[in-house]
Amino acid sequence: MIFKSIRWLLQAWHSLILVVVLTGFGVTAYQVARGNQLRRIDQELQQRLITAFRPGPPADPHGHGGPPRERPPPDRSPNEGKEGKHDHDPSGWRAHMREVIAHAGALEAGQTNAFYYVVWQQDGSLLASSPGAPKDVPMPAETGREHEPVDRSGAITRTRGELREFCLCFPFGDRALVGRSMAPDLAAMHRLALWLFTAGASVLAFGMAGGWWVATRAIRPIEAISATAVKIAGGDLAQRINASDTESELGRLAGVLNSTFARLEGAFTHQVRFTADASHELRTPVSVILSQTQTALSRERSAAEYRETLQACQRAAQRMRKLIESLLELARLDAGQERMKQERFDLSRVARECVELVRPLAAERGVEMRCDLTGVECLGDAERVSQVVTNLLSNAIHFNRERGEVRVTARSENGTAFLTIADTGVGIPPEDLPHIFERFYRVDKSRSRIQGKTGLGLAICKAIVEAHSGAIEVTSQPGVGSTFEVRLPSGSA
Amino acid sequence: MRVLIVEDEPDLLGSLLQALREDGYAADSAEDGEEGLYKAESYEYDAILLDVMLPGIDGWEVLSKLRKTKKTPVLILTARDAVRDRVKGLDTGADDYVVKPFDIDEVLARLRALIRRSASEAQPRLAIGEVLIDMAARTVTLRGEVVTLTAREYGLLEFLALHRGKLVTRTMLYEHLFDENDNTLSNLLDVHVSNLRKKLGHDFITTRRGHGYSIDPAL
Repeated sequence: MIFKSIRWLLQAWHSLILVVVLTGFGVTAYQVARGNQLRRIDQELQQRLITAFRPGPPADPHGHGGPPRERPPPDRSPNEGKEGKHDHDPSGWRAHMREVIAHAGALEAGQTNAFYYVVWQQDGSLLASSPGAPKDVPMPAETGREHEPVDRSGAITRTRGELREFCLCFPFGDRALVGRSMAPDLAAMHRLALWLFTAGASVLAFGMAGGWWVATRAIRPIEAISATAVKIAGGDLAQRINASDTESELGRLAGVLNSTFARLEGAFTHQVRFTADASHELRTPVSVILSQTQTALSRERSAAEYRETLQACQRAAQRMRKLIESLLELARLDAGQERMKQERFDLSRVARECVELVRPLAAERGVEMRCDLTGVECLGDAERVSQVVTNLLSNAIHFNRERGEVRVTARSENGTAFLTIADTGVGIPPEDLPHIFERFYRVDKSRSRIQGKTGLGLAICKAIVEAHSGAIEVTSQPGVGSTFEVRLPSGSA
Repeated sequence: MRVLIVEDEPDLLGSLLQALREDGYAADSAEDGEEGLYKAESYEYDAILLDVMLPGIDGWEVLSKLRKTKKTPVLILTARDAVRDRVKGLDTGADDYVVKPFDIDEVLARLRALIRRSASEAQPRLAIGEVLIDMAARTVTLRGEVVTLTAREYGLLEFLALHRGKLVTRTMLYEHLFDENDNTLSNLLDVHVSNLRKKLGHDFITTRRGHGYSIDPAL
């Protein structure tokens, strides 16, 4: 469970990579150091052997030469040795060897980590060995054995346990070997390994701590986002992610989420208000029915009184029916269930029919209807469009002044059909203008209620026009009048 | 008791007026905020039923303007039932709150309680001598016997009882017992008083000649 968390995964990968890198580095460093140490020992051994057998004071540990002595060059190959000064005197040479070994051995005596010397004759018998030499040092084979590499000059280097030995072939097939214990060097290498391990472990610990810190920092915005999302899921839609850094990837994500949350909250608030408004609109007619019936039923009434009560109830019920129909229509339009027909029709003809329909209403209010309607082709659902036009016209008459006028014009432009309905009414205050297409929004909170308006007419108009991929707009000047413009696709583009 | 109803929905206003009048109230009506405020400031109402959503000035404004001059008990009628709205209503100076749709009986009961409280009478029963007035049931008993009163007579008795010990002038009685549409002749008041005296005993109501009537608190 915990290992599924991003922080733990980051930390695990981070640590794994760190361990691999540190191990690689440590092992390589150790190998290089060990190789260097061995080479140094080998060079030292070689130096010893050469110094011991070259003319001069043998086996001076510091390599300072003494008075030269007659001696064959030690680095000559065994074959070449035959041409040396002791070519014909192996016994003299061997005596000399014994002397040299004894001398060198004496010099080494009492020193820690002392060098030892061993010389064999060609037949394998021990010629001489220095006092510090371990017993039973095996003679290296001329051709070399396993782990006893022979270099070009015939020198052999080998490791026996903690001992490192270097061996050369001399004239007459004799062999000289110098060796010493590697114990202090091995101990040093051991310390190096320990040190490397400790250093690696501390670097790993620091790295992991740093990684944890980095992972925590990286994960913090995600945790903030998560915490906010949890609160929002819990119902507090007003919560927002506190995104101070808007440039980073997570900052941008937070920004996107915040705008999503804002839209969600907007939609939710809208929904809540819509429901509240709808129930509010239903309350008044229900109050009428309740109070009318309760009053009528409280005692015996005359037939006329009962009729009055029933008429009042009927009016209330009609109002509720109208409201419910509007609500259902809006709900269907919202759900996209209302399929708009796609037929060609003359917008002017539809407008003229609507004008005729509302003419009695206009006459009642003394409002003059003026039409400027030439043939404008339009693509859509003629019945729905006429519903929009009738609604706009009846509004234009309702909110007009006495003896005012309503001007209806239609025109076509760039593949769009325009229908304009302008009135000379009270106009709409600028602060209300952006809201008038909202459901149940009313400029005057109650006047329209008396006039039998549901408060949904313009919202339905907007929904229908938008279902046609059209647009509806309003401009208004208080005291002068309002102009509604409907734009619909003409289908001829 | 005289009550003003401010409501813009004609059918609702009609049934409220009818219900109140049948219950013995003198009820006036106003269909918008301005008319309502004018009437509320001009007459001595015992209570006002005030709708919130009104044309012109809304109920809140009517209430806050009225509160500058009068302490008339106000019962708010509204379709807004959010707690916020109720708090606003009570804070603006409303005395009670009824949410639409309401039951007429509840409105009447709240109205009775409102009027009783404004007369500093917490009990719905008033005992004056041998007469017991049950303002909740709107019944009157004399020595345990139920006395049948007309709505007018009951209204007159209740008003006098709530103001007992004080002089109740004829003007006050006209103001509180008859609504704006009553063109009652002045002598009708005397008829109601004499009917009450017949039913409850002659000494129950004292006449202060030239001033008005009162009920003796010592009874």
